[in-house]
Amino acid sequence: MIDALLQGLFLVLQWKAFAFMLLGIGVGFWVGLLPGLGGATTLALMLPFIYNMQPVEAFAFLLGMHSVVATTGDVTSILFGVPGEATTAAIILDGHAMAKKGEAGRALGAALASSLIGALIGAAALALAIPIVRPLVLTFGSPELFMLAIVGLAFIASLSAQGARGMLRGFLAGGLGLFLAMIGQDPQAGVARFTLDTLYLWQGLDLVPVLVGLFALPEIIDLVVRGTSIAGNVRAGRISRGALEGVKDVFRHWWLTVRCALIGTFVGITPGLGGAVAQWMAYGHATQSARSPEERQRFGQGDVRGVLGPGAACNSKEGGALIPTIAFGVPGSTSMAILLGGFFLLGLVPGPDMLTKHLTVTFSLVWTIVLANIITVGVCFLLLNRLTALTAVPGHLLVPVILVLVFIGSYTTNSSYADILVTLVFGAVGYFMVVAGWPRAPLVLGLVLGKIAENYLYISVARYDAAWLTRPVVLVLLAVAIGVILYPGFQAWRSRARKAAHA
Amino acid sequence: MHNRASLGLAILIMVLAGWGTLGALAWPWKAKLFPLVIGIPLFCLAAAEALWTLFGRQPERQGASDFQLSTDQAPQIARRRTLVAAAWTVGFFILIVLLGFQIAVPVLVFAYLKLQGKEGWLFTIVFTAAVWGFFYGLFDLLLHLPFPPGVLLEWLG
Repeated sequence: MIDALLQGLFLVLQWKAFAFMLLGIGVGFWVGLLPGLGGATTLALMLPFIYNMQPVEAFAFLLGMHSVVATTGDVTSILFGVPGEATTAAIILDGHAMAKKGEAGRALGAALASSLIGALIGAAALALAIPIVRPLVLTFGSPELFMLAIVGLAFIASLSAQGARGMLRGFLAGGLGLFLAMIGQDPQAGVARFTLDTLYLWQGLDLVPVLVGLFALPEIIDLVVRGTSIAGNVRAGRISRGALEGVKDVFRHWWLTVRCALIGTFVGITPGLGGAVAQWMAYGHATQSARSPEERQRFGQGDVRGVLGPGAACNSKEGGALIPTIAFGVPGSTSMAILLGGFFLLGLVPGPDMLTKHLTVTFSLVWTIVLANIITVGVCFLLLNRLTALTAVPGHLLVPVILVLVFIGSYTTNSSYADILVTLVFGAVGYFMVVAGWPRAPLVLGLVLGKIAENYLYISVARYDAAWLTRPVVLVLLAVAIGVILYPGFQAWRSRARKAAHA
Repeated sequence: MHNRASLGLAILIMVLAGWGTLGALAWPWKAKLFPLVIGIPLFCLAAAEALWTLFGRQPERQGASDFQLSTDQAPQIARRRTLVAAAWTVGFFILIVLLGFQIAVPVLVFAYLKLQGKEGWLFTIVFTAAVWGFFYGLFDLLLHLPFPPGVLLEWLG
């Protein structure tokens, strides 16, 4: 085992494989920075180039590219409030708020350091978990996976706003997301649902135009209203010191970072949930780490824990998602499904062979994730001053550039003007949600989980009728969902009781 | 303002959920299971929010863990600038549909810098050229993304 581990490292460090990895990192770096250009799309575009490569070189190229996309996506999300990737939207809530307070360096430092820790934990999980993960994944059937989706939604809906009213709005936003996910042809009966007789809506709403509209347009409007740079009149201070502070934040909140990385890994392992879910679940967990309702109110206003959680989860999920892909040939996400195509192009069959005959190749994947993330984070830290200086650029120079990127990012999803129209509609929805004090995170999670949840619910009911509700893991997950919903109320009660005791 | 926005959103969700639930009743059970499971509670929750906004005790702003709009501008200035931002955004969309990305991008950047940013001619021209060069070089030359010429140009042949 140790031999295979070391051999995997040496394979990646061979000059050709290493050069391909650097090339992949270069591509992934820019894909992550540009809003709308997705990691999965780029992975698919790059797939034809691997025909003449050896397996280690091909995976160094593909995985090197894919595993850094989320890291640089965080940079765009924090600096401009525009999701660089669909998987880096959650970090906007606190990361961009910090940038506006002149703490862009600290936010970036925290995001980069937590991303690295997350990637290392994900890679370690991949190395350690392969022999033991099979029974865990196999205990989860459709009922359990449906309940897992409900737990995720309960997490974010109950924790992203204050009080009973806030929780109601959180569930409303989540429900709206689930409702919007139903748009399009239903997967079981083929009925066109809520398509308004338009062909465009038959395939449902794509995540990127919705996300870009929901998050970027309200920020652009606010930038115009303020008439200043992103950081306003706040001086950014010494960036390097701010970044160092962000790195220290990772160690101040070490266990939170580790827990969020583990959440990311677990979501990555679970087939079908994907990275867009991991970040929000981690954000929900980070919010839960607040000890009082007053402390929780700081989330969304620039609390560094809201950066650490999604940052760690986003990168750790890659290692997790590789586990079922390699071990069982069951891809954990769209990107992994494309990567699976890469396995077959190279003549490798995922499954037991990858754990025996091709174990060194498997470990080379682990090392690629580790090395690619270390190199990317290093490069980002070197460029930090230049990146953070962008928050001091006058708003009227940024607005047209961001608008161009937003519209191109949205348009390239399906090469359709309707994508931009969707962005505009959700820009308006996002703006009014911000004005009304409604959380936007549950809407996104509902939209992400909707199709998955519907599929699992249908299979559960068709296969078990109502008996699926009595399965032990379902009951445990149901209890967790109820606990998550009741927890803020309990926390508020305990806080009141403590205040009364002190008075 | 935030209460009116909240009421508007609640009513919008009520209408959507009601329409969705009623529409789903005619579908086979495979297709209507999820719409009914989601639509009915969603309608009830939206009705509760609407009633709470209309008749609830002293409505207070509940902070969501989310981005908040800046409050350092006078309301009438903020309103006017919001409308200006919305107009630029919608205007850019119309430009793209009429002229295509290739022309709409430099036109937007140039017009925004000159009219909104009050920048000098030289800076505006250089900045516009740089943005267009980046757009054309990356998305057109390198990535070969298909950008149609625009309705107006197609019509003119």
